[in-house]
Amino acid sequence: MKVHVKHWSAVAQWRWNTGNNNDAAADDEGDVCGICRIPYEGCCPACKMPGDDCPLIWGQCSHVFHMHCLLKWLGTPASKQQCPMDRRPWVTAERKVNNNVGNAAC
Amino acid sequence: MASISARRLRKELNEINVEGCPAGIKLLSADNFDTWLFSIEVLGESLYQGEVFKLMFRFDANYPISAPAVQFVVDETRGAPIHPHIYSNGHICASILGTEWSPVLSVSAVCVTLQSMLASCKVKERPVDNDRYVRTAPDNPKKTRFQYDGDTV
Repeated sequence: MKVHVKHWSAVAQWRWNTGNNNDAAADDEGDVCGICRIPYEGCCPACKMPGDDCPLIWGQCSHVFHMHCLLKWLGTPASKQQCPMDRRPWVTAERKVNNNVGNAAC
Repeated sequence: MASISARRLRKELNEINVEGCPAGIKLLSADNFDTWLFSIEVLGESLYQGEVFKLMFRFDANYPISAPAVQFVVDETRGAPIHPHIYSNGHICASILGTEWSPVLSVSAVCVTLQSMLASCKVKERPVDNDRYVRTAPDNPKKTRFQYDGDTV
């Protein structure tokens, strides 16, 4: 039997690498930004397009938010420049790109 | 209505409708994204046995970046709980509604905090400066700069 493929559609899905690779722990909606309650992969309420234009921001305290949501909070005097989750002084963390590398402790 | 507060409040309302309010708390009205009303009572042993109070939330367009204005409703049928941190006009001296507000808090988190503030009350009395405060209090409690006693309530 000969099969001719007339048409095909490729589908891809993306996710921010939040370091939380435990898919079982993430519910159907995935993780949400604690400030706006919109999934990380969505965008903050002020943006229209998810992706690089509405990125996430990581704190050294390990908490993650939409960058725009966090900056809006830090822009208010009420924030006292603290992380909304743990009220520690907010320090933006360096992105760790290679956190999926296996640890080899020889 | 600005989208930030409306979108977040729509999510919170949806959650309340699906999962219900915490025990002892009921949604009375949420017809818009400006003002919500709840009834609140303390379940179990407390100084407020059998008392049901009405709690009002007022949101501005920047919620949850800015804290909601929360107070007990005082009308012909109900008064504010008699509590060392609650004024007779319904205004509440609680740090999470002022300097300790965080945008990760929510309406139901505030309800639960106030409920436990009532539950842990040991003496039913008004704040010492109640009369002075109520005479000059602004309509919106967010305009008041409360001095938090720092004791555990």
